[in-house]
Amino acid sequence: MSEKVLLIDDEKDFLEVMSERMKNRDIDVTTTSSAKDALGLAASGSYDAIILDLQMPEMDGLQTLEKLKAINPDLQIILLTGHATVEKGVQAMKLGASDVMEKPADIQVLTEKIKKAHARKIILVEKETEAKIRSILSTKAW
Amino acid sequence: MHNEDDTADTLGLHFFGNMTASISHEIKNALAIINENGGLLGDLVLLMEKGRPLDPERLKTMSGNIRRQVQRADDIIRRLNRFAHSAHEPATSIDVREIFDFTTALAARLATMKGVTMTIAPGPPVQMEVRPFQLENLLWLCLKHLFVVTEGSQSVEFAVAESGADILISLRFGTDLPVAEIGARVAREGQPLLAALQAKMQIDTSVLQLKIPKKLED
Repeated sequence: MSEKVLLIDDEKDFLEVMSERMKNRDIDVTTTSSAKDALGLAASGSYDAIILDLQMPEMDGLQTLEKLKAINPDLQIILLTGHATVEKGVQAMKLGASDVMEKPADIQVLTEKIKKAHARKIILVEKETEAKIRSILSTKAW
Repeated sequence: MHNEDDTADTLGLHFFGNMTASISHEIKNALAIINENGGLLGDLVLLMEKGRPLDPERLKTMSGNIRRQVQRADDIIRRLNRFAHSAHEPATSIDVREIFDFTTALAARLATMKGVTMTIAPGPPVQMEVRPFQLENLLWLCLKHLFVVTEGSQSVEFAVAESGADILISLRFGTDLPVAEIGARVAREGQPLLAALQAKMQIDTSVLQLKIPKKLED
């Protein structure tokens, strides 16, 4: 099963070439250069991982991260940035980012992180399903 | 003991830090695109070895992308080099509009991030004798505080005119911006710089004006 990824970056050339490389690795990728559009896509699609640039026009990466997490706290978000300062990295992790990577990124490392994000998402979905079943069983007199 | 120039130089160090951080980010973005194009080339060769034909048009596009990003990185590094040298340049006769051009080019990425459009009003050259770095720094402070207070799309137009022994630099802001607040912030943080340049600030409804002597008195 191929991983479903949302790639957000304001550099259109970067989006184009990175998405082609991901497709070559059987990753189902959707791209956007707008943080605002990304919020809509994240709300309507079920992504295994979101790859987000830390510095974006309209809304900076940390703000976008916060809003994405508000839409769905289980979203697996990997920050990809030109310069990851320790302070920003810590802030991002506190806001719920799964990982932080610096550009230029190694595609093999990024692909591994996407696979791990996919695995984490499956575990979260299983846990949620289990909790729902328990809740139903505890309220129904079966 | 600190004199006015020492303190203005401390502000200059902050300015230098802000600009080089932004510039290095821009270079990293260009390098990332070059890196991915190089990587894609490797991917395509591997796929070709597995039997997928290699499209020459695709290679031409990638080659063009790489050349464009190398040119972009080279332009950024040239700007960085000029900026670095301006930090120790003594007072010299300059055209204020050239300083507008250079400062807006330095701040372009940060302005885009904040949704701010910068323009320069056309006009003849206006000469003054100043340390270019200090004037760039003062203009940057105005932009920096604009970026702090602005929400959403905004604009600023730089203009310059002569007025006897002084030059008048005007920053005309877009609508609904708290120009008085921007001015107060610039006056507070930039006090040593305003003193070093012997500059006086005036605030109108939508204009922040800086009056600076064409040649500094000793």
